Amino acid sequence: MSQEIEKIYYFIKRDITSFSTYKTNMTLMVLGALFGALSYAFLGNNATMQSVLNLYHISFKDYLVIGVAFSTYIGQALTLVQATATPWQLEEVLVSPTRLGTFIIGSSAWGFIWSTVVVVIYLAVGYFAFGVMLSINIIGTVLVLGLGISTLVGFSMIGAGILIVVKQGDPVTWLMGILTSVFGNVLFPPQVMPYPLSAVSYFVPQYYFFTCIRLMMIGRSLQSILPDILTLALMCAIILPLGYLIYSWCLKTARKNGTLSWF
Amino acid sequence: MNSNVAIETHNLSKIFKSRDRNSEAQGSFFNRKKPEMVTAVDHLNLEIRKGELFGLLGPNGAGKTTLVKVLCTLLPPDEGTAILNGFDVVRQQMDVRRSIGALFSVGERGAFWRLNGYMNLEFFSAIYNVPRSKRHERIMEVLDLVGLKDKAFERYQRYSGGMKRKLALARVLLPDTPILLLDEPTVGLDVISSRTLRDFIKNDLSRKAGKTILYTTHYVEEASQICDRIGILNRGKLVACDTPNNIRGIVKKGEVVEIRVKSITDAQIETIKNMDGVTDVTSELEDSVLDLRRLRLNLQSIGSLPMVLDFFFKEKILLIDLKREEPTLEDAFIELTGRGLEK
Repeated sequence: MSQEIEKIYYFIKRDITSFSTYKTNMTLMVLGALFGALSYAFLGNNATMQSVLNLYHISFKDYLVIGVAFSTYIGQALTLVQATATPWQLEEVLVSPTRLGTFIIGSSAWGFIWSTVVVVIYLAVGYFAFGVMLSINIIGTVLVLGLGISTLVGFSMIGAGILIVVKQGDPVTWLMGILTSVFGNVLFPPQVMPYPLSAVSYFVPQYYFFTCIRLMMIGRSLQSILPDILTLALMCAIILPLGYLIYSWCLKTARKNGTLSWF
Repeated sequence: MNSNVAIETHNLSKIFKSRDRNSEAQGSFFNRKKPEMVTAVDHLNLEIRKGELFGLLGPNGAGKTTLVKVLCTLLPPDEGTAILNGFDVVRQQMDVRRSIGALFSVGERGAFWRLNGYMNLEFFSAIYNVPRSKRHERIMEVLDLVGLKDKAFERYQRYSGGMKRKLALARVLLPDTPILLLDEPTVGLDVISSRTLRDFIKNDLSRKAGKTILYTTHYVEEASQICDRIGILNRGKLVACDTPNNIRGIVKKGEVVEIRVKSITDAQIETIKNMDGVTDVTSELEDSVLDLRRLRLNLQSIGSLPMVLDFFFKEKILLIDLKREEPTLEDAFIELTGRGLEK
């Protein structure tokens, strides 16, 4: 077990070292996060949305900054497995005595760390420059993050599995990206949409993730989000193992067909 | 199972569906043709002894890479078994992986371009379970072995093709496994780098370290220079398996003599062709100004040669040079398979 954890450390070290050599890119990404935070905070500061106040009892500015900050996290989680598990790296690692799970976690870890940096930038700009209300329920936040990310990594594994087999075009990530922006409760509450459309959000895990994370960031108790977090946990319990199974099956199929290193 | 055997396969087969995307090959949208099945490895029986440097020779598409991928657990076989270091490639995959180091023909894809050589190896030493306490020492040792110690902290992207190949080999050597599967390790290297690498594989890895090595190549000379035994693979089947000399002996039915002569006419060549004991004559103009020709005579036996020489004497044809040709591995390959090899 400790050997596998150590391997994950070396995956992270590899990715950090590699990332740090692209200094311009790193600078642009930090600036992008800063300006993104500024623009959404300005927008939230100068606009109101009554439904946000009614549903969450927070300002539109707080709603928007927290939502957009964590949406970068979710976007990253959705594409992590396929972005890092390149076929040629898969071949090199699959002939070594390293478990597939270690490989997936190790390849994805740096992406999560970087997303955390972006989230911190967003929240810091919001808090210090615009007075976004933050009173973090740490345990709840960690729990919601764990469940939300695990669920989306499950989708990511499904997408990566499909990509390993079909090589180009991943409908799962595409669909999840669309569902996040329309029904995910990122930029506006889905409840503002007419009934048949707003009901779709109840089947989208991102909706529960964003609902819960916002309330945890403003210091609500876990009890206040119990139905939503249980729904998210149930979705995670189904999607994560399903994603792993599909990814493993697709990998097995590609190995059997000898197309693993094709791309 | 023989305890002296490091790699063995029994009736090993691997079959692929043909991936021809050509619309004609696939049929129309409503009337799809069944995909063609391609047998890449065909009921292969092979035994490689411990400490042996075994060359697998075959043209492109013969099934060499597929075999290596099956042996290193990357591809599951469709039929038969393969045992490495006593472990089955299907049932004991992790044990097989702990016993092997595998170098693929496109080795640089698995390396990380923005890291230096040392950091690349540090990552892979963790992946290959090299104990942490021995990691630095082992990395420096393999870098020294492949001659990259001085370039250890240079970024991989600045390495030459030869250096990249050497680092790929260093990566394979990190876990110090008893078996090495080297798939066309010299592909893309210049003559000097290729020779240095071959010498290293033969002298250091095979002779000194006593590793069992499966070395695939489509370069005839490479295989004949360094390998203890050679297997010739053709369309997935092992058509010959012996020492390089014994394989050459397969085609030694008759003699080949190469003669350089001055001023010989086509009619005279035709006469030689019709002599008893001469099975074939090919002629090539070497120098039109000096009127020099190179004749390649296939004789039933060397006893037919005096008759040919006597003809030259009578016809006053000036003989410049005469050489008895030894059959090559390529001759053997053509004899066995009817297909040529790349040089």
